[in-house]
Amino acid sequence: MDEKTSLAAGIARHLQGLGYDEKRLAEIATEVDILNGAVRKAAAARLTFDDEPAAFASLMAREAK
Amino acid sequence: MINEDPALGDLSEIGDAIGDRKLTSVQATEACLHRIETWQPRTNAFLRLEADKALAQARAMDKELAAGKRRGRLHGVPMAHKDMYYRTGQLSTGGSEIRRHWTAPVTATVLERLDAAGVVELGFLNMAEFAAGPTGHNVHHGHCRNPWDGARVTGGSSSGSGASVAARMVYGALGSDTGGSIRLPASACGVVGMKATYGRVSRAGAVARSWSLDHVGPLTRTVRDNARILGVIAGYDPDDSTTSEKAVPDYEATLDGGVAGLRIGVALPEALVPVDAQVGAAVQAATDALGRLGATILPARMPDFTDLYRSAEVMVKCEAAAMHRPWMESGAPYANQVRTRMEAGFFIPATQYIDALRLRAHFVREFLDIAMADVDAVVLPAIPFPVPTLEETDVESSGGPATLSMVARFTGLTRPFNTLGVPALSLPCGFDANGMPIGLQLVGRPFDEALLYRIGHAYQGATDHHRRVPL
Repeated sequence: MDEKTSLAAGIARHLQGLGYDEKRLAEIATEVDILNGAVRKAAAARLTFDDEPAAFASLMAREAK
Repeated sequence: MINEDPALGDLSEIGDAIGDRKLTSVQATEACLHRIETWQPRTNAFLRLEADKALAQARAMDKELAAGKRRGRLHGVPMAHKDMYYRTGQLSTGGSEIRRHWTAPVTATVLERLDAAGVVELGFLNMAEFAAGPTGHNVHHGHCRNPWDGARVTGGSSSGSGASVAARMVYGALGSDTGGSIRLPASACGVVGMKATYGRVSRAGAVARSWSLDHVGPLTRTVRDNARILGVIAGYDPDDSTTSEKAVPDYEATLDGGVAGLRIGVALPEALVPVDAQVGAAVQAATDALGRLGATILPARMPDFTDLYRSAEVMVKCEAAAMHRPWMESGAPYANQVRTRMEAGFFIPATQYIDALRLRAHFVREFLDIAMADVDAVVLPAIPFPVPTLEETDVESSGGPATLSMVARFTGLTRPFNTLGVPALSLPCGFDANGMPIGLQLVGRPFDEALLYRIGHAYQGATDHHRRVPL
């Protein structure tokens, strides 16, 4: 079991109380790695300390036609 | 002018005829029931048909009219809805096995509003399990089939809504859209579907797929019909804190404004998703038509949506995993592809989920600054390729890489606008070599549904794709 799959196994068992076989854990680890990496990269390029989720609703209201 | 068969009329035409006492609600309902008798076996669009109840409602609506009371422009008009809108004490499956026998404890706000408007409810419609799937497959209740060709998909997840409206079984239907689930079936079935601005229509009492990305909206035969329904269901709802308090315009009142003077951007975003030549040609022809009507047509620049796609996936997976956890832990009977698409949500750190939410405003800003800076609306395809067959897209049975790739590309041009929350309207703009509909997607600024309806209505006034009926 590689490091990422092993980490996924630990999260499943100890943090989420879920059981998966090693093959599925490896698939999930790959998927999560891609998603996490993309969001981290996007966040690093755009987000500042003052960004908050509610800015979306404010912007929609401000830009409303 | 009412057709000989009232089922073939438009919702607005039928609503007006009922209001003018030229047609009764019972006659309209019976016409739909007759049509359903023929088309339900071919499409499997209905999960539950409630004929007796609908006829009783229709009689009550006729009685009210006879007494001089008209509730509004939808008074007495038969509709049916995706089986995810709750009605107190009644079954609501969400297209699932898990909720096959579940009864709802509340009534959805949108149903309450349609009830108050006098709409007759014919029943509830097929859908992808828990609104998770862009094709119309459903292993629990049977796949929904496209009325134009029963071997082909309807698009999903509002599969029954698209099929029932296209086959003229109902005059209009509610669907829901988390990544394209109104616009995809509208496109594949040759009808009109509106995903309004996030917060324009209440989600209260509707099965959630992703609270952040879900949108409720109508599917209809014409733009005018769609505008009429949205005008009834839109607006602030204290039961859904994400709804806007912004006043709801009379969408029908501005339909005839035309497109002269408007600037419309055309996007054939090959960089995002390869667009089939037939689809590209149909979209080009549609924009040419809008140009002839007086709009200025410009090439549209779209932002790079790569980060947006991934952020949207993070939102959907985390929110779906959270809401489905008890069932997933207990080994409840999901279709394999529905369960596996949620599982990653248990492994994504909360910080990444929150960052995906924080990024959303940035994505909107980029879209408005890049794509919308010089235009009033953007035009692009809804589905980038011709409508495929059920077999070609059956991930549950085959699940091969080609199948998975095609299914993933289904939402490539619709999903961005759920994350952005901006309004997007799909309407028919032609037919492919297989005789299947092609959908045009119009995208606008936040809360600018009226403009999209105006453009769509002008286009439908100059074309007749929406007048073709499956045989």
